[in-house]
Amino acid sequence: MRRFLVLPTSRAGWGLLIAFVALVLAGTWPVIGLVNRATLVMGLPLMVVWSYLVIFACVVVMLIGNRIVERDDHE
Amino acid sequence: MNSPWPLLITLTYVVIAMVIGLRAKAGRSMNSLEEWGVAGRSMGPVTLYLLIAAGSVSAYTFMGAPGWAYSKGVAVFYVAIYLAYLALVAWYFGPKVWQFGEQFGHVTQASAISDRYQSPALGALAALVMAIGSVAYAVLQTIGSAYILFVMSGGLIPIWLGVVLVLACIAVYLYVSGQRAIGRTNAFQGVLMLIVAWAVGLWAVHSATGGLSFAGVFERIQTEHSEFLTLPGAGGDMSFSFWTTSIIVSMFSFMPPVWTQWMSASSARTIRRSATWLPTYYVVILPMVVVGFIGIFSLPELARADTVVLEYAMQHLPVVLVGLLGAGTLAASMSSSEPFIHSVSLSLSKDVIQPVLKLSDAVTGKLARLLILPIMFLVIAPLAIAEPGSLVMILLVGLGFASQVMPAFIGMFFWPRASRLGVMAGIVVGFLITTAFTILWPHPMGIHAGFWGLMLNLPVFIVISLMTPSTNAEVVERFFRIAAPRGLTRLGRKGG
Repeated sequence: MRRFLVLPTSRAGWGLLIAFVALVLAGTWPVIGLVNRATLVMGLPLMVVWSYLVIFACVVVMLIGNRIVERDDHE
Repeated sequence: MNSPWPLLITLTYVVIAMVIGLRAKAGRSMNSLEEWGVAGRSMGPVTLYLLIAAGSVSAYTFMGAPGWAYSKGVAVFYVAIYLAYLALVAWYFGPKVWQFGEQFGHVTQASAISDRYQSPALGALAALVMAIGSVAYAVLQTIGSAYILFVMSGGLIPIWLGVVLVLACIAVYLYVSGQRAIGRTNAFQGVLMLIVAWAVGLWAVHSATGGLSFAGVFERIQTEHSEFLTLPGAGGDMSFSFWTTSIIVSMFSFMPPVWTQWMSASSARTIRRSATWLPTYYVVILPMVVVGFIGIFSLPELARADTVVLEYAMQHLPVVLVGLLGAGTLAASMSSSEPFIHSVSLSLSKDVIQPVLKLSDAVTGKLARLLILPIMFLVIAPLAIAEPGSLVMILLVGLGFASQVMPAFIGMFFWPRASRLGVMAGIVVGFLITTAFTILWPHPMGIHAGFWGLMLNLPVFIVISLMTPSTNAEVVERFFRIAAPRGLTRLGRKGG
């Protein structure tokens, strides 16, 4: 039992895990360093725009996740 | 401030919240842990969305976050990002926690830990130490509530009276309607906060720039104070490492009220639906933070950064909006303190007092309701009135500890081999490191103390787990039928 772990069991599951990790990377260093500039985009600081892009990307990924979970019919 | 309107509007909010909270009972008996603790596992997606959203948006959003924008700049947005990540956490773990609760009868986080590791001692330890951070959090929110009443009444309601008033209101509807009151009042408070935040934010922008676009504010900041638009911020103290580790530590702090909220859902699917849309609520932070940025050039000599929105509102906004701001800020602090008070009472009754005194579930249900009164009036009220200087430190250590319970959850969701002693050892080591790196040597190398704690906690947890007996196989199998419905993976191969 010592070597057993819970990991995704399908290609869609792995895709979802990769998307979750990508979202976390998008909001942390080093990615956040790339948008750390004192420029404005649509009147808002780039850091603020990026933060809300990450936030709304979370919604999109979870919406896709819902489709996968409900298609595969498991909780 | 001489107008009576701000106080009247704020008190009207309190009356409405009380009526909603009291009506939430709707004739049900509240003497069982299932009903008072987790609302009979009945909450629908909209209520759950607003319950979690309003619970996570505390007085910090109306006072602390604009204060951070005023003193540091865009560094404040780490909060919005970690709140969105908490939605990802809720999306993945929430449905599984709900199934544990529904199938095994858990009503608290600590009872799930106690069951998974077959150790009431570990459950009680988790309940007690989580209670420290939870009480400190509730005290800070109560201080915020009392401060709002003090300001809105022009000093007529002193802090001690504000503390007693706010706690008395919460006590009445929490005792009467339990988690249902939290659900209903948070739904009302959540909507109110969203409306107030945007109304105040847009009005403030209009008064500062003559238009409704945030661009005017940020163009001026870019020209005059561009250091506020990047990390490490104007204070120079939000490095990339502190930003990143603060997000990670906050993301993995599984606070007990959040579990109770998940367990209150009507189904696993409800949690997933609510979590999916949860990040959209965090647009509530943006207008409040913009007022903080306005303060940089319009209130440059402010003594306390976290009063920036209140000060700006009192100087530039109509009294009705000042009153709504008071109501919104009070809603934010009450909606955040209620779940913590409820969860401390629930967990101390269920996970500490019940096993020690061997009480029946019926007696424990009644005890949980009554216990909110001594918690509120003998612990929270004196602390809120005294405002001890170490309170923020207690909170930071408490929250740091919350992330140190992570091994317990790894063993619950990912790794069946995790043992009771491994979890205990990891928690103790992680807690000691977090405490030391919060109090003695704050955040070495600009890395969050809780992150340092995890760095030692996790290896200790793994090594000790491998060296000590695992939990009874039947219990592990019971948990992992839910945590891994399609089976476990053995080093890349499919297993049982």
